[in-house]
Amino acid sequence: METRRRAAIPSGRPAFADVAREHLERLYGFCVHLARDRTDADDLLQETLLRGMGAYSELREPERAKGWLFAIATNVWRDQLRARGRRVQTASLDALDEDGDGFSLFQTIAIEDPFPYSDELHLDFLRLFHDEDVQAVFGSINPNYRLPLILTVVHGFSCKEAAAVLDIPLGTVLSRLHRGRKELERGMWDYAVAHGLVTKADEP
Amino acid sequence: MIDCPEAVRRMWSYLERALESKPLEELEAHLDTCTRCCGELEFNRHLREMVAVREGGPPIPADLQARIDGLLSGAAERAAGQAGDTEAPA
Repeated sequence: METRRRAAIPSGRPAFADVAREHLERLYGFCVHLARDRTDADDLLQETLLRGMGAYSELREPERAKGWLFAIATNVWRDQLRARGRRVQTASLDALDEDGDGFSLFQTIAIEDPFPYSDELHLDFLRLFHDEDVQAVFGSINPNYRLPLILTVVHGFSCKEAAAVLDIPLGTVLSRLHRGRKELERGMWDYAVAHGLVTKADEP
Repeated sequence: MIDCPEAVRRMWSYLERALESKPLEELEAHLDTCTRCCGELEFNRHLREMVAVREGGPPIPADLQARIDGLLSGAAERAAGQAGDTEAPA
């Protein structure tokens, strides 16, 4: 009995296939975010599942399977980038200046007043953005800042869990989240101006 | 008492219910007296919800789903084989 237990998946825990199916849609969404390309995302999802299948017996807490699968996807993606000879982004980007730090989208909309007759100025601004616009803005954000935002806002991970998925310190996640939010705010304003969705107050 | 820039810095954490009790109390005290920040908090709430919904990801394409199903049912068979104490099929 003992030898059999050691070789097989311990009894009482869900099968890998069930765990994978439970998180499959979310995991695929994350793969699309990592790869930003459908073909690459397909490969990434399959490779993640294969690697997860092989390592499932090492997962000590099956209730943490979601974060574990997301962490595998992150690692597979980093390996694939390396294999293609692309440099994996490192923490050096965090040393960039805090230029965007003072920007406030809320404040900018109030000052620029793009819909002078609106009672709901700020909500009207958000209503301008369709799915593809939001995706375009997100795509323009550096992945170092985008991924912590995606993990916490879209997939419901805590900052601590996001740090584990990305295998970076909690403090780094917190500062990148802040930076990511600011880039999102600035990105949305710049996108709206560049695509003629709004007219700035100083323009005719 | 925290100022508006500090209140703004804490807003997303507040929306994620991730603030510790002291920063939370300070933010709520600020919001009690500052309608401008209440407006910005509401805006951030809408912005965050928009991102959460719109960026959820596309549905899994049918052909990929079929490949995944094949992969996972193969895994289920192997697991069943192991549980039955037989050699895993090649």
